[in-house]
Amino acid sequence: MDAVRTGLAGGLLRGRSAWAVWGVLALVALLAPVFASERQVFVLMTVLVLAVFATSFNVILGYTGMVSFAHAAYYGVGAYTVTLLWMHLGWPSLLGFVLAPFVAAAVAYVTGLIALRAVQLYFALLTLALGQLLFVVTFQWRALTRGDDGVHGVALPDLIVPTTNRYYFLVFAAAIALAILGAVMRSPFGATLQAIRENSERAGFLGIKVKRYQLASFTLGGAFAGYAGAMFVVMDRGAFPLLMHWTTSAEPIFVTLIGGLNSFVGPTIGAIIFVLLRDWITRRFVFWGLILGIVLLVIILRMPGGTVEGVQRLVARLRGRRGEDKVAEGSPAAAGGEPPPEHAPARGGEARTGDAVEPTHEGEAGKPAPGGGR
Amino acid sequence: MSFDVLMLQLMTGLSRAAVLFIVAAGLSLVFGALRIVNIAHGSFYMIGAFVAVTLSVMIGGTTGFVAAIVAVPLLVAALGAVVERIALRPLYEKEHLLQLLATFALLLVFHDLVRAVWGERPHRLTAPELLRGSVDMFGAVFPRYNLFLIGAAVVLAIALWALMTRTGFGRDIRAAVSDPEMLGMVGVNVPRLFTGVFAFGAGLAALGGILASPRTTVLLGMDVDIIIQAFAVVIIGGLGSLVGTAVGALLVGITFAMGIMFVPQAAMAMVFVVMVAVLVWRPYGLFGIPER
Repeated sequence: MDAVRTGLAGGLLRGRSAWAVWGVLALVALLAPVFASERQVFVLMTVLVLAVFATSFNVILGYTGMVSFAHAAYYGVGAYTVTLLWMHLGWPSLLGFVLAPFVAAAVAYVTGLIALRAVQLYFALLTLALGQLLFVVTFQWRALTRGDDGVHGVALPDLIVPTTNRYYFLVFAAAIALAILGAVMRSPFGATLQAIRENSERAGFLGIKVKRYQLASFTLGGAFAGYAGAMFVVMDRGAFPLLMHWTTSAEPIFVTLIGGLNSFVGPTIGAIIFVLLRDWITRRFVFWGLILGIVLLVIILRMPGGTVEGVQRLVARLRGRRGEDKVAEGSPAAAGGEPPPEHAPARGGEARTGDAVEPTHEGEAGKPAPGGGR
Repeated sequence: MSFDVLMLQLMTGLSRAAVLFIVAAGLSLVFGALRIVNIAHGSFYMIGAFVAVTLSVMIGGTTGFVAAIVAVPLLVAALGAVVERIALRPLYEKEHLLQLLATFALLLVFHDLVRAVWGERPHRLTAPELLRGSVDMFGAVFPRYNLFLIGAAVVLAIALWALMTRTGFGRDIRAAVSDPEMLGMVGVNVPRLFTGVFAFGAGLAALGGILASPRTTVLLGMDVDIIIQAFAVVIIGGLGSLVGTAVGALLVGITFAMGIMFVPQAAMAMVFVVMVAVLVWRPYGLFGIPER
């Protein structure tokens, strides 16, 4: 699907400033337990798990331009790899932790092979079917998984039983995952994925084996979803079928959308916003879904680039009125000419790219040419 | 396993297929014309059921049930029109993903709104006297209401077919399925047509929700339950095709009923296996056309 076209985030999150953002995040992550209560440390662990889960998803969505509804299935496969090896075979949970991404990758590879027979929307729907199939099997196969009851009380190594230690273990685990994914996405492999996302037909003309790369991306994303699932088990010491339900697959989509799918750091920012907002709201108000739904609608209708791009636009605005005027007019010149440079380089002159940056004008356009651009 | 039992289970599968057809037909119509996979379709189904409960309790008796069947789909259709105008119209030129996510966001919003109004307690919608009880079939008893469901679906299928082939609205919808841009050029108000189709789809979802309710309980969460099954139906049949929807509904309904009889645990899994098998064989569904 051509859902995502713009390149890696512009100025704000490139080069030095990107490292600065990661530096701040790392510092906060390392110092947090000093200030946070035990409950808050748990909330932060949730952030870490979701950040890896969503970043692994963004490999498929943001970098390769495919929409998958099966991602929760691989997350669950990773979680159940740890719990079932522990429960049935007595294997130590850390061994399961190491194996989880490989098992998830294998499952993602096979399901991806099937799903990639279709493209775009039908690909998305096929992943939905395959993911639900894995969910239903997990849910019903009580002898293997204990079904709806889930598995609880997974034994962890003594060292990481205390909450603070467990937290640091997860910080370390998340850092490794994000570093690997970041390196892979900056490699020629990552560049090839983006070429496929931008225009799979042209990429094919260049001799890129599109399906093979898409499958590789799907498998890589699935592997790290499994890794995130294993992280979940360390945090929660259990696993249950809901982890694999298709509504769980929507979570990384939301998180990526909130943060912004055009940057590597986007899903991590999204995870922070999502989890903290959820924690803050659910303690005051039972209708979290209502708030989340409205927030999402506003983001979708008003700033589809997510908060990362929203901040970039704000920065661009503060930098000078000329830039602002041009942006406000939705003129393509805003991308090419004067400052702000944040808007430009990766986005070429494509008219459609302009749409993504200027969402507010769509609503006022009155009668959009029906069918256009679909 | 006797033949009688098999036939009886087949009939149960048919009544299940009847509800699935009514709901999935709306989903398929909306996709065909608007190219939107509407996850919030499940919300309209659930809202229809809950409003029907309230209305039929207020009025009471057979009149209440009939009033609900007539009035509630219209109310929900109006809700659908409003939703389309506010949340979806600005997105027609955008990516499929954003539309899909917008409808998902709507599902979340409506889910909590229903929770706020009706709570998490299960509700009941009772069928009118006339449709209660059972009839003798194949040497066993078969619920009368299930027969009514099958009949209702057949009548509705014929009505939909007539609507699509014999009326201006249907002609415009078919034209929108193949080329909305051209339809706009010949002077049809396409945005208004889209609102109409979306409202019509929402009404069908609500009707399905009301008709399904007397067989089971009206409960929060029925939105997510039905949408995944309706997806299975339209994906198997091919998005946008009414014939495909009917065939898909029959396949899913009967597969499920047979699954329940032979391997109850794997019934739902079998539906997904059928779905995956169909898509691997024909990636656009049995009657679908490749995406334009």
